[in-house]
Amino acid sequence: MVPKRDVLLRISDLRIEGYSDEKWVEIVRGVDLTLHKGEVLGLIGESGAGKSTIGLAAMGFARDGCRISGGSIEFDGMELTTTPESDLRALRGSRIAYVAQSAAASFNPAHRIIDQHTEAPIQYRIQKRVEAQEDAMQLYERLRLPNPGEIGFRYPHQVSGGQLQRAMTAMAMACRPDLIIFDEPTTALDVTTQIEVLAAIRDIVDQFNTAAIYITHDLAVVAQMADTIKVLLKGEEVEEAPTEEMLDSPKEDYTKSLWAVRSFQRPQKHRPKEADAIPIVSVQGIDAAYGKTKVLDDVSFDIYPGMTVAVVGESGSGKSTTARCITGLLPPTKGQILFKGEPLPPRYQDRSKDQLRQAQMIYQMADTALNPKIRISEIIGRPAQFYGGLHGAKLKNRVDELLDLIELEPSKFYNRYPPELSGGQKQRVGIARALAADPSFIICDEVTSALDQLVAEGILKLLDRLQQEFNLAYMFITHDLATVRSIADEVVVMQRGKVVEQGPKDEMFTPPHHPYTDLLLSSVPEMDPNWLTTLLEERGTDAIGEAADV
Amino acid sequence: MGDILQLVLKRLGLGAITLLVVSILIFFAVELLPGDIAQAVLGQGATPETVAALREKLGLDQPAVIRYFHWLAGALTGDFGVSLVSGERVSAAISDRFVNTLFLATYAAVIAVPVSIVLGVIVALLRNTLFDRVANVLTLTSISSPEFFLGYILILYLAVKSNYFPAIASLSADMSFGDLLHRTFLPALTLVLVVTAHMMRMTRAAIINLLASPYIEMARLKGVPPWKVIVKHALPNAWAPIINVVALNLAYLITGVVLVEVVFVYPGVGQLLVDAVAKRDFPIVQACCLIFAATFILLNLAADVGAILTNPRLRHPK
Amino acid sequence: MSTFVIGYYALLIGASCLAAYFNKRNIFILVFSLTMISFITGIIGGAPALRFITTAAGMLALAAGTSYAFREFLIIITPEGVSKELRTAPLTAAFGMFVIFTYALAGVFAPVIAPFGEAEVISSAFAPPDETMLLGADQLGRDMFSRIIYGARNSVGLALLATMLAFIMGALAGLLAATKGGWFDQFAGRLADVIMSVPSLIFALLMLSIFGTNLAVIVIVVAVIYSPRVFRLTRAVAGNVVVMDYIEAAKLRGEGTWYLIRREILPNSTAPLIAEFGLEFCFVFLLIAGLSFLGLGIQPPTADWGSMVRENATLISFGEMTPLIPAAAIALLTVAVNFVVDWMLFRSSGLKEV
Repeated sequence: MVPKRDVLLRISDLRIEGYSDEKWVEIVRGVDLTLHKGEVLGLIGESGAGKSTIGLAAMGFARDGCRISGGSIEFDGMELTTTPESDLRALRGSRIAYVAQSAAASFNPAHRIIDQHTEAPIQYRIQKRVEAQEDAMQLYERLRLPNPGEIGFRYPHQVSGGQLQRAMTAMAMACRPDLIIFDEPTTALDVTTQIEVLAAIRDIVDQFNTAAIYITHDLAVVAQMADTIKVLLKGEEVEEAPTEEMLDSPKEDYTKSLWAVRSFQRPQKHRPKEADAIPIVSVQGIDAAYGKTKVLDDVSFDIYPGMTVAVVGESGSGKSTTARCITGLLPPTKGQILFKGEPLPPRYQDRSKDQLRQAQMIYQMADTALNPKIRISEIIGRPAQFYGGLHGAKLKNRVDELLDLIELEPSKFYNRYPPELSGGQKQRVGIARALAADPSFIICDEVTSALDQLVAEGILKLLDRLQQEFNLAYMFITHDLATVRSIADEVVVMQRGKVVEQGPKDEMFTPPHHPYTDLLLSSVPEMDPNWLTTLLEERGTDAIGEAADV
Repeated sequence: MGDILQLVLKRLGLGAITLLVVSILIFFAVELLPGDIAQAVLGQGATPETVAALREKLGLDQPAVIRYFHWLAGALTGDFGVSLVSGERVSAAISDRFVNTLFLATYAAVIAVPVSIVLGVIVALLRNTLFDRVANVLTLTSISSPEFFLGYILILYLAVKSNYFPAIASLSADMSFGDLLHRTFLPALTLVLVVTAHMMRMTRAAIINLLASPYIEMARLKGVPPWKVIVKHALPNAWAPIINVVALNLAYLITGVVLVEVVFVYPGVGQLLVDAVAKRDFPIVQACCLIFAATFILLNLAADVGAILTNPRLRHPK
Repeated sequence: MSTFVIGYYALLIGASCLAAYFNKRNIFILVFSLTMISFITGIIGGAPALRFITTAAGMLALAAGTSYAFREFLIIITPEGVSKELRTAPLTAAFGMFVIFTYALAGVFAPVIAPFGEAEVISSAFAPPDETMLLGADQLGRDMFSRIIYGARNSVGLALLATMLAFIMGALAGLLAATKGGWFDQFAGRLADVIMSVPSLIFALLMLSIFGTNLAVIVIVVAVIYSPRVFRLTRAVAGNVVVMDYIEAAKLRGEGTWYLIRREILPNSTAPLIAEFGLEFCFVFLLIAGLSFLGLGIQPPTADWGSMVRENATLISFGEMTPLIPAAAIALLTVAVNFVVDWMLFRSSGLKEV
């Protein structure tokens, strides 16, 4: 619990409008917020909840196409909604600082990191250039950046994502602000990199006793960082409480449902015992390369009928490339892929219609996976027509049947276009399109990672039901271990194009692990607010800096 | 720096190849003539003897490929052969006029480039204001008007009705520089009007594109004043598009210059080219085309090299 | 100080006060800046300058009124989907549509509208306007007005034909290049580079000097010159579509190239392609007008705006407007098309600049 302290920021009945479809629409609808000096407030919500907009409003800033239409924002006794722009500007960077989601895009590529760091202190005449640079190096050291004396003199594109994010936190600290807005600072990072950034942010905020608003959609992350959590939904507050209380006993139904998402789990299946069982897909020692860069190195695993194999790894581990090899988009340079015991031609162009039909794919971004200019009925109907030769009433019946399967009412969705659907509905249509081909094997490429948690859970349950109904085999590509825990039968862990470990899920989640699996598993944030502290103690602070380079 | 050098060399090589291909195109296009040049020049009524004589004079008995290499070697040393109509050396006919054309284009560019970039940045800053909308309509109108329309309007109002400037841009050797600027002002202004509008719009688009980047928002959230956001954060990244805009429009000047020269009876290459086309004087047509195309290609090349050299990601490799 | 000048300022100042009182910021700025400009021009040019401003403002108001009415008219007669789009059209775009509509009428019904034939000599050379000849006669004594009307048919028709040809060649090659990739993509790309590395007017002059100036040659040459532009745009637009997952899904389903182009790629590329068609038309139209002006385009006695400017150019030195009329006809249509295209591009860019 935070002791009573001076109020730093008080937002009351804040209303913000955004311009879309030729009119102003309210996107933040009467939010109140109080932040004390040195306090960290977590703002959590799904996409479209208005988190970032509120964060920026705390700086008196509205993006182009947005405007603050009502309410008050009082920062340290100053009413920001009526303050002239020039005075607001004097606050920004000096007393309120901002850390953006993508450091790679938010650093100017034309200037050295340290020159961008020292810009604000020099401009506000807090420090001279040399002092500011020395101070920057000290901050880099505190944030445990490698080579603190030298790293600032590099250009942004010469530094890795995790380091850049820490450099941006250092930049926010340059003028020792009273308040920092962290806008999803770790969302774009891999889990193992995320840890070091989280630890660094938490340390520095503690050390300087800076107040912060921490914006994220990840509950477990916010649990580590915030003293108080505020849950938002569609621009309105759902509830607010101190972190422990919020985690232990959420009051509102919406919050409870958010908390409950991670509980979905289905029983694990095992490989058939018979020795002569044939895997539906057998990847045998494949290498692959983009041009001269080798991206896959001797990858092998089997997928048996009716089972789900999760392929896990961070970005660049080669998990999606493996899928491209299986579908035939990228012919492997070595090794082969067997389908029901028969070798598949490496290029999809050389495969038979039946081979193409049996292996289907569901994509991560439903937005780009469905043609926005084609009606749902044709998107789903086309495979049935193309492979099954269905026409007229038969085709319509089949489409209706498929829409029923994915729990979308046929009469309502038959004639719609994808842009009229929500994210979850689109993903369901993507599933129906795969089902329409009547496949035996489906590759699911990060199918839930672009979705909000509640929606994602629904998709996972649907996929599970369909698997049982049609005895489908899934290859489930994901970076999210919570998803793996809930639906996988077997797990393949990949790192830098190689399979580092594979086996049944229960074995994979119990020690002993391969060191990389261990790192991966332990890096996934847990809902326990003490998780990060405990983990850092276990690992020892020295290990953190190198964690990303394992 | 190795990467940059390699990229620049690659681009230069590509430019050279393009130029070569274009020269082939220009030379062999004439070979597509029904019959051959001699026949085309002398017309249907010519006796076989006169045609044969001209054929020999032009060296048409040699294979086209050999003639191409002769022509190319000549072109590289500034020798484009002899005019079919006047018998004058093509290089002699072109050289003075080329200087005149270059002068006119430079005159226009010197005014247009700074004006349009400054205006473009201003409109980008004032985007979606009334000023921006009016500027949008005016520049669109200017772009849409044929050069001869603008030229004749200027002649009508600034030369005929009010007599500020001469309507015909005739040059003589003993003119003072001031006199020269005064006489060529109207053709230059016509070119300026067309090109400025183009450049302004493209500069505006380039800047606005840039202002949407997260690092510009970051600079604003650091409390950097607006002018400094533009100068320090946007401009260093805007060089590539701006250089491109300038080069593209200088190249555009080359095309515009032909029409403007005809309107103002200005003694430049464009005028010569149009006359030669009408008279089917192929050596002159080929020479003029090659000169225009080469300038065009060189400008585009300069833009690409400029864009490579100012790209911070390439300047400071990993 | 005449009553006109006093009335003029009274009206402007009154209007700006009203605008300020009712808090119409844009109108106020507009009217007040007009007042300020009038002060300056009035001092320099006296009452005639103010009269000129009044006439110009009046014409602008008339154009705005026409555009507004035309837009409302279109909104009423079109089906709902289209009229919803039309509501977002700025007045400039509505003006453009109105002009295009007028030109189309003039072109289609030229023989009905024009009082005389396009090659009919009815008067002495350069005869001044009278009741039968609205705009006077040209250098051979033909009716200027009739020739302008016929010009709408000839000049615009030819440009339209060339644009369509350029478009079919460029778009088809672009779609194929994006879908097929490989050597065809490379080859078509290099070919476009080469054609585009010669300035268009220069290229056209070269070709016309060789093949002569008949209509078929003009259409084909102009189409060849401008098809690389269409090719590049189509290639880029389709290139953005081709990387989408739904294309991958269709490819993995085993669909053929033609299906991919027709059902998957084309419906997602129409908006930029339509806008490009407008732009392309402007380029083609201006190029052909330029060629005609140089005497190398459409040949007499066919009425054509570019040639008409050249034929009557000598009148300029006598302070006559006549040669400017066909030139203005060219400019007006190009402006109109550009206004419409500008709006469409703004729409298809997803309102990025709000």
